Amino acid sequence: MDDAVIVVALLLMAGSATAAVVQRDPARQALVLSVLGSVLAVLFTVLQAPDVGLSQLAVGSALTPLLIMLSVRKVRRRGRPEDGGAK
Amino acid sequence: MNGWILAATVELGGGGAAALWGVTTGGPARRVVAQNMTTSALCPALLLFSQGYGRPAYVDLALLLALLGPVGTLVFARLLSDDLAAERPSAWALTWTAAAVGAVVVAAVCAATGPGRAMAKLLVIGALLISGNVIASRALSGGFRGVRGG
Repeated sequence: MDDAVIVVALLLMAGSATAAVVQRDPARQALVLSVLGSVLAVLFTVLQAPDVGLSQLAVGSALTPLLIMLSVRKVRRRGRPEDGGAK
Repeated sequence: MNGWILAATVELGGGGAAALWGVTTGGPARRVVAQNMTTSALCPALLLFSQGYGRPAYVDLALLLALLGPVGTLVFARLLSDDLAAERPSAWALTWTAAAVGAVVVAAVCAATGPGRAMAKLLVIGALLISGNVIASRALSGGFRGVRGG
């Protein structure tokens, strides 16, 4: 019966991972990626690996989105003078 | 499977699915609000899991999520501020609903834990969760004039 929890967490993980791949805009991908990081941490907890979950939470929920958003901003700024503010 | 894990599963499934749906569809404002909602949906679920598995050490995950979740949202509020300036994302009904869910879960787990050091930790997590949620929502809706793209 405990398997129901694992199935729910796995479904959420698969759904958010697929959504992260399907998005085209990097900023939106970063948003989905941060959700994916948190869901993965819960999945690790449910699978009785809270130590892995802790590090996943630290990296996935704040650090990865921050790095991606900083890179996106830098790329956008560099592209702006040439093609008039590429989205 | 006991009642705590059942409640955590319902919370995880409902909150996670709603956040996932919100973050993949709609405009930037809606996506950021849904990303903020992830924290307030998953943190109570982690508390319930810790109680359900009978392992107080799992509470640390909820503490870390309550701390870092709003930080992640503030990152988006700061770096997406150009996109968010057009439509101010504000969902105060959702914010207070999430805060109420967090408060109810913390109160229930506190009642099961009993007084002591563990209960103080749970109360700290609850305060962090609710205040972080409110601060992140306020930053998203443009409440802090200082949050602006540099």
